[in-house]
Amino acid sequence: MTLKLGRHEFADDATLMMAIVNRTPDSFYDQGATWAEDKAFDRVALVVEQGAEIVDIGGIKAAPGVEIGPDEEKSRVVDFVARVRETYPGLVISVDTWRAEVGRAACAAGADVLNDAWGGADPELVDAAAEHDAAIICTHTGGVTPRTRPYRIEYDDVVAAAIADTVAYAERAIAAGVDPRSVVIDPAHDFGKNTFHSLELTRRLGEMVATGYPVLVSLSNKDFVGETLDLPVGERLTGTLAATAVSALAGARVYRVHEVIETRQVVDMVNTIAGRRPPRRAIRGLQ
Amino acid sequence: MTRVVLVPGVLALLPEYAGLTDPVAELRAACLEAVAWLGEDVTVVADTQGERVARALLSAVGGFEAQAPGRLRTSTTEPVAEVRGAPQGERVAQALLSAAGVSARSGPQGAFAARPTVVVGNGSACRTEKAPGFLDERAAAFDDDLRSALVSGDVSGVDLALGRELLASLDGISRLGEILAPGGDVTIDYDDAPFGVQYWVMRWES
Repeated sequence: MTLKLGRHEFADDATLMMAIVNRTPDSFYDQGATWAEDKAFDRVALVVEQGAEIVDIGGIKAAPGVEIGPDEEKSRVVDFVARVRETYPGLVISVDTWRAEVGRAACAAGADVLNDAWGGADPELVDAAAEHDAAIICTHTGGVTPRTRPYRIEYDDVVAAAIADTVAYAERAIAAGVDPRSVVIDPAHDFGKNTFHSLELTRRLGEMVATGYPVLVSLSNKDFVGETLDLPVGERLTGTLAATAVSALAGARVYRVHEVIETRQVVDMVNTIAGRRPPRRAIRGLQ
Repeated sequence: MTRVVLVPGVLALLPEYAGLTDPVAELRAACLEAVAWLGEDVTVVADTQGERVARALLSAVGGFEAQAPGRLRTSTTEPVAEVRGAPQGERVAQALLSAAGVSARSGPQGAFAARPTVVVGNGSACRTEKAPGFLDERAAAFDDDLRSALVSGDVSGVDLALGRELLASLDGISRLGEILAPGGDVTIDYDDAPFGVQYWVMRWES
């Protein structure tokens, strides 16, 4: 399905790198490396140079921690969105928030996408997207409260649950007025899931792709990779890229990542193997 | 007036081998320009590999419908070119003709007299250590001699056995004596060995 992400449209076969930009002091991977606004802006410049089509700007870490209210979240995100919008008019700006109030302010400042990592916890978020002709990422969390860790959650069939919930969320977004081309679904690895759930979702991602909605995967350095390989944060790139390859083969369209270059190479390689993309330049044996 | 063109049998000219960037863009441009210069009702003289490529390229521009290997079909409403000789070079030639907007047809062997003709062939493939046939010290001299023969229009003295050793594509070139009329003008549009394979795009007019 063609993707329309706010001001930007992408062909049916386009794969997109969504680079994570944290305006947080405590996110699990970068530990506040881009907490300062100028550092975050430098990160945007870097990932744009590396070829990212999307930046995903977040003002609150996903894990439990200090309570951050809507005003504080907006103070971290909204002006920064405006600055990025002004500097990079061709860049897709996503904002990682579950709050409609924050989403509205971010879209008014120039955001194209609302990335709801918490599965529609705020039912008005779809209205915020519709009001601003923004795209929305519909994730599956199993209904958990934002910023909580999974605890003894089980599913009869985690893939069926993810499909049912994300498609229902997508249909609710469309009913609220979001452009059907602007709805993306995301199984949300690790969110409301144990490692076995995330592995099964990776293994059966093709079933989500078969819904017809573009699928986003957020795999980068997550705990399911770390537990699978018994590796700490900082040593999970190879495992992340392996999961990325499986997801690419299944047909995922958007990749939320810390490492843009490595992920792009894996996605391009897999899609070329799959016959969906030509080689960059082929002359061997054809001279 | 007779027009004859030489193009190399480069498989990278085929659409099924296209990448996101064209490794033979300059060569392709020269080939297309030369083939377009031939006009209509073109005869192709080539080896086996060109036929499939030609069919696909012709299909892409609507002047040719792809079929099983070894068979050609053309629109009966368009000016056509006759294809003869071995198919490899024919595929390349057909592709170039098609891309240049000239359709082609298969047909029985016959005289070349007065027909515009595209010949598919190239020099050695042993010009560098990275070349398909690795570096052969004899290759440069062979290509120089072949170039001179092509420019003179007399290929009767070309050492075909050495050419085969050096992986030169000579099936079409060896028949130039049947095709070229004496006393013509020759133009060299392309003369390079970018991948260790010697390519020429040449035009003869008489």
